[in-house]
Amino acid sequence: MEALQYWIQGFAVATLPMNLLYAFIGCVLGTLIGVLPGLGPAAGTAILIPVTFSLDPIGGIIMLAAIYYGAMYGGTITSVLVNVPGEAASVITCLDGYQMAKQGRAGPALGIAAIGSFIGGTFATLALMVVSLPLANFALRFGPPEVFSLLVVGLSLVTGLSGRSLLAALIMTLFGLMLAMIGMDPVRGAPRFTFGIPPLYDGIGFIPVVMGLFGVGEILLSMEAPVLEVIKTKLTDLLPKREEWKVSTGAIGRGTIIGFFLGIIPGIGAIIPTFLAYAVEKKVSKHPEKFGTGVIEGVASPETANNSYANGAMVPLLTLGIPGYPTLAVLMGAFIIHGLTPGPFLFKERPDVVWGLIASLSLGNVMLLILNLPLVGLWAKLLEIRYQYLYPGILLFCILGAYSLNQSVFDVGVMVAFGVLGYIFRKLDWPLAPTVLALILGPMMERALRTSLEMSGGDLSILFTRPISAVLLIAAAIVLLTPAVRLLGRRAGKD
Amino acid sequence: MKRAWQIMCMAFVALSVFTLVLSFEYPYKDRLGPGPAFFPVWMSIITGVLSLALFFQTTWGKSVAYAAATLIPERQGVLRILAVLVALVGSLALLDPLGFRISLFLFLLFLPLGLGERNWWVILIFAIAGSFGIFHLFYYGLKVPLPMGVFGI
Repeated sequence: MEALQYWIQGFAVATLPMNLLYAFIGCVLGTLIGVLPGLGPAAGTAILIPVTFSLDPIGGIIMLAAIYYGAMYGGTITSVLVNVPGEAASVITCLDGYQMAKQGRAGPALGIAAIGSFIGGTFATLALMVVSLPLANFALRFGPPEVFSLLVVGLSLVTGLSGRSLLAALIMTLFGLMLAMIGMDPVRGAPRFTFGIPPLYDGIGFIPVVMGLFGVGEILLSMEAPVLEVIKTKLTDLLPKREEWKVSTGAIGRGTIIGFFLGIIPGIGAIIPTFLAYAVEKKVSKHPEKFGTGVIEGVASPETANNSYANGAMVPLLTLGIPGYPTLAVLMGAFIIHGLTPGPFLFKERPDVVWGLIASLSLGNVMLLILNLPLVGLWAKLLEIRYQYLYPGILLFCILGAYSLNQSVFDVGVMVAFGVLGYIFRKLDWPLAPTVLALILGPMMERALRTSLEMSGGDLSILFTRPISAVLLIAAAIVLLTPAVRLLGRRAGKD
Repeated sequence: MKRAWQIMCMAFVALSVFTLVLSFEYPYKDRLGPGPAFFPVWMSIITGVLSLALFFQTTWGKSVAYAAATLIPERQGVLRILAVLVALVGSLALLDPLGFRISLFLFLLFLPLGLGERNWWVILIFAIAGSFGIFHLFYYGLKVPLPMGVFGI
């Protein structure tokens, strides 16, 4: 009941004409980011942060959140029409979406994706409204040991679930933590690893790193084979046929539930919910052999899960201050730039921001549906922009975004350097998400660990003797050890 | 690709040794508890150990299913990547002295050419709109501070 009252207050904030306009602009820009190849939601949201500088914090956050979930839908368009996912969560949509487009059914594929995204996103927002307040109140009981253990769980999940090599993922996480050590010591405030370079006193800028790893790095990779072949198809009949509705309804329902519940676990990432939703759909289907040949439920379920996840993942960000994956880490960075710290205290200190944002998510889902169904043809046209103009244009915004954060050419240099690193790591198939999350969570983690040790007089057992902390650390150990145990078991079986 | 993994592992070993050595410049402990070196020391040690473990696994362990067969793309791809990098480094060097408009104008003029585009009129319009147009939108419209350069334009 309390949540409903807050939500009504938030609705009053979100429906202010300017905030509605910001949400609308955010949805348009987000969809654009999702559509454009070479620009994922993390880099896209990061480079658009300067657009919000002149806005009030609520307006800025509403716009950036709209960019975030708009990008989640936009990625679908390229998956269906080009067989290239606009962002990682749309990878699985390529399987059936592209096949549907080849059969001249791109319209229903994009239509069901928009409708499923709307339903999934709306349900997840309602669920977010219900669970966020109790969870935020519970999180207020956390002391430094619990915070440290929670961060360990988040990083373990993102590490354990990324890439093909657990060791490489662990190294990438530690690389992020090492980068986070540059700058002011988070406990004593003394400079560390700054080499006398003034910009390093503020640490390595998280936003330029994201732009480099996910923006410039992706563009460098795209340069290897930059030409996209767009399927020429009429996008007239966007609504599925009656029999397609029948199979899609269950798929949308299952995708919604899977997306939301995986979203509230920090560190799961956007890919797993969509793959799981697809796998479940295949499992329950009467004709699993047809998956991959262009079945509509193969699009409906993962796309619904994708947007349900996007809204569900707001739960750990808003209630615990833990971003589940890189795009949300960028959003967290944007909160900080606007003078707000996500976490349980935000619910107490700035309920207008939190509930205004939650209410704007509901409105944004409606806007996206209105935007996407009639404008899908226009978005598809964007894919025909020649890469000789498209990529320089994206890089222009990367430079602008990196510079304008601190009016510093140094940040542009950081972005370029991490762009090269991002390209190399992508070629090696070493995951980037753990580095980004570790970079933003590193100072928080170090502060929590050192404060815990100060509390216990240097005794590490404080992390294991407090029940919540102990349970969280056991969960982290299970996440990290499971793949290793499974591998050893497989080898033993072979021997 | 196996060689690339080995090199990257050794790069991380070197990074961890470097960080470990630098960490000793800061106090490991102070009267309140762990000092500024506490976290870096342990992070460096763990990174070094894991990097060595991955090096040994890559060299002598069961082979990893690498995502790409080779690290170096075909020649045209290399040239396009170089064009992007030259344009980025050039704009980085010129951004402060020449300002946003001129440096980004040059960036948007050079890069499409470097990527094989030859339609001069379109490139010119693109470069003017992308540099001067975007500057006006962000500097005057959205009040985002951007560098003016020595010429003040």
